[in-house]
Amino acid sequence: MKTENRVLLKKRAVEMAKEPELKTEGSEYIGIIAFTLSEENYGIETDFVREVYHIKEFTALPGVPSYILGVINVRGKILEVIDLKKLFNLPEKGIGELNKVIILHNDQMEFGILADVVHGTQIVAVKDIRAVPYTVSGIGEEYLMGVTKERLIILSAENLLTDKSIIVNEEVI
Amino acid sequence: MDTKDNEFLKRIQATFRIEAEEHIKSFSDGLIELEKTKTTESQSGMIETLFREVHSLKGAARSVGKKEIESVCQPLESLFSSLKRNEITMNPGLFDLFHKIGENLSRLVNSEGSQQTPVERQTLREMIQQLRQLTPEPITNGTQDVSKLQSEVKSVEAAPVEVKSLEVKGESPTNVAKAIEPAMDELPVSKPAFAEMVRISISKLDPLLQQAEEFLQTKIAFNQQTSELIQILRDVEEWKTETMKWRGRRSTASVIQWNEWQDKNEVRLNNLETHLVKVTRFMEKERFSLDRQVTDHLDAMKQVLMLPVSSLVEAFPGMVREISREQNKEIEFIILGSDLEIDKRILEELKDPLNHLIRNSIDHGIGTPRERELQHKLPRGKITMAFVAKENGLVEISVSDDGKGIDKEKVLKAALKTEAISPDAAEKLNEDEIFSLIYQSGVSTSAIITDLSGRGLGLPIVSEKVDKLNGKLTVETEKNFGTTFRILIPMSLAAFRGILVSLREFEFILPTMNVERVMRVTPEELKTVENHETICIGEDVISVVSLADVLGLPERRKETSRSSSAESQSSGNIRIVVLISGENRMAFKVDEVLDEHQVLVKGLGKLLKRVRNISGVTILGSGKIVPVLHISDLMKSAVRTAGRKKGTQDEGKASTKSRKILVAEDSITSRTLLKNILETAGYHVVTAVDGFDAFTRAKSEEFDLIVTDVDMPRLNGFELTIKIKNDKKLSEMPVVLVTSLESREDRERGIEAGADAYIIKSKFDQGNLLEVIKKLI
Repeated sequence: MKTENRVLLKKRAVEMAKEPELKTEGSEYIGIIAFTLSEENYGIETDFVREVYHIKEFTALPGVPSYILGVINVRGKILEVIDLKKLFNLPEKGIGELNKVIILHNDQMEFGILADVVHGTQIVAVKDIRAVPYTVSGIGEEYLMGVTKERLIILSAENLLTDKSIIVNEEVI
Repeated sequence: MDTKDNEFLKRIQATFRIEAEEHIKSFSDGLIELEKTKTTESQSGMIETLFREVHSLKGAARSVGKKEIESVCQPLESLFSSLKRNEITMNPGLFDLFHKIGENLSRLVNSEGSQQTPVERQTLREMIQQLRQLTPEPITNGTQDVSKLQSEVKSVEAAPVEVKSLEVKGESPTNVAKAIEPAMDELPVSKPAFAEMVRISISKLDPLLQQAEEFLQTKIAFNQQTSELIQILRDVEEWKTETMKWRGRRSTASVIQWNEWQDKNEVRLNNLETHLVKVTRFMEKERFSLDRQVTDHLDAMKQVLMLPVSSLVEAFPGMVREISREQNKEIEFIILGSDLEIDKRILEELKDPLNHLIRNSIDHGIGTPRERELQHKLPRGKITMAFVAKENGLVEISVSDDGKGIDKEKVLKAALKTEAISPDAAEKLNEDEIFSLIYQSGVSTSAIITDLSGRGLGLPIVSEKVDKLNGKLTVETEKNFGTTFRILIPMSLAAFRGILVSLREFEFILPTMNVERVMRVTPEELKTVENHETICIGEDVISVVSLADVLGLPERRKETSRSSSAESQSSGNIRIVVLISGENRMAFKVDEVLDEHQVLVKGLGKLLKRVRNISGVTILGSGKIVPVLHISDLMKSAVRTAGRKKGTQDEGKASTKSRKILVAEDSITSRTLLKNILETAGYHVVTAVDGFDAFTRAKSEEFDLIVTDVDMPRLNGFELTIKIKNDKKLSEMPVVLVTSLESREDRERGIEAGADAYIIKSKFDQGNLLEVIKKLI
């Protein structure tokens, strides 16, 4: 191997071996998973994401609110999937080939949210998250954490998971 | 302390907890027994037993350093030894104290001391004090007492135990008192979570182990056979390769060579056959034995899950005692057949319904001693709960009381009031049909709603649970002679089988046990009666509804419409499934009946706690999720759907938004809390600062309901209720009393004043309040 190549490779190796710059105060940055919902870009904290699951089929249930897409079988486990478009009143796009379910969880709750396209993870500085402009806010406001300069709408996974009002508990009397 | 020691301590404390629970349990049981016993002779035997329980608990507590438990057991033990010596005698006050101590000990055992509130600590101290005062004073010399004891107490074996305890007591009353207080403050903070435990007899475990060992044999055998099969496959592959080679030599090989090859092939084929026959024979044999092993194992596992009824009913005597005390009633509670064994899962499901039936008997059945004497009955009421094994693996559970019986007229009145039936229909009902109204939600004969009963929910819950267990609930009642509820259910759970049906693009499972029959009918067989489709099955006419309509399925999109429905349309036949649930029978139209499966029903997830008409889901072999339908829900929905079709479009939609509630409460905190709760639930709320303010507002504005505190300046809750109920214009408005006063007298005052509900603040939670309000308006 030529020496210059070796030097170049060495340089690259050193570069790559470097520890990523430590984001010092942990609370200043959050990891998010970015995804698209009806042409709008959203992000949700990775701390509450168990996995991103490719959805092949789902079972719709009669008698549930429209924001419940149905249930899916995740390796033998039954999981509910929420359609945020219904919850946020966004235009319908229909389930295409690329549908993914982002599985959210905390100690008490677990469910999936449907995403049109999942883009991957990124890190966002908390200080860059601004309040949602008045015109954008409306339905689903309680689940919004804010919006970044890049117009990425950050959802609060915690508020979604702890919202008692989306729990279905209905008996026929 | 190093971690190993810590681990050990944790483990030993867990063991202690289980042991302590047992001692406390026997202690409480013993007390209840003792209360029932009349003869002095058997009483002294029981006191002896109680004494030993306390003593063992004390010893156990000391060994793990549970000073605070020891500190209670100590004086308790002394008091019992005085009882044994007949220095004092049992009296109701003592029983109460002992029960209270039992409860507190149990709390102590289950919670770590550091989580005790100062109040709890105070109660404990007071109890210890009380115990000391009750013990005849003073015992200064242990030995002296031993001689006294030996002469007086018949049971000699207990004497050495006695010596030890007395010595401890004799030397250290003050020391113990000193030891208690720091002990209470210094306890560790950790509180490990406890898993539910089950006691299983060894005789049930032995066969399980044997079977497991048998499985091992089978496993080894299967491993061998797998190797054999692999060998056969290798031989075949080798042979195949050779054959391929021969193909190339077809033209060049001589006849002799060909014949040799042919012979060789024959030998190989024969070998292969022998080999395969051997493996197949073996597999066939093993398959049967595996079949048997699995069945046996399943049976044995089911046996393990069979628990004696006593594990279910042990909490009931205490409950009966507590409630009857609260209501000033005297009740003898008898349990029969508690050694019968029933599947644990069924026992768990039975807990609630039996609880409700007992409460019901105490609350509505048994009267106070005075009421009973007026009816020439013994002042002490009797409730009997009996478990009797019946044929076909069924068990009959009866709860009977010798109380007032169910008042037919009152039931009818209550049902009419809640509009559970129409006045026209009421006239046609026979006696059985009237009594069946008590299972309907909201029908209660109680004059007032309390925390205990009167909301008309208890019996519907019983009925629903029994339905779910595929059982039968009946009631026999005679005025002034008592009531008996009978539940007939299977003792073990059968494997769940379901029938798969299709409806438009959906598939559903119907539990086979609810399916009476599946049939095809022609459109001509469906006859319309009063705008409902009906069908004749034998002598009966039953109504037919479309399952898709009942479930509210969306109309099938034209392009996805499959040939199956077209086919059934063209052939003109309609597929019908006749379902039964309890007494109800109804026919449902479906598109297609596909198959019967043995299924494992799974609950929906955490987000979907309860979905109407669906009891769970199952995963088919293909991985597809199919909902399992909830039959009794379905029947109720069917009635609703049919009702809606007849005219009223949006009855269920009467929104709470328009409802206006007046809240009268003098405390600003409680007032704000109530306002928030009610507003969150969608009510319009107006507040008043006291009874007088509330009455003025009620006169000037219209309200649908009033929620009022009892203790208020100017005009209290009772007075306000009376004023409202006596006002011509306001008398129809429901009044809910919310109060911190938890006493029977106050509840009765509430009833007298004419309040519609009485909720106690200490047990107050918003669900309770909202539920009551929803029922009233």
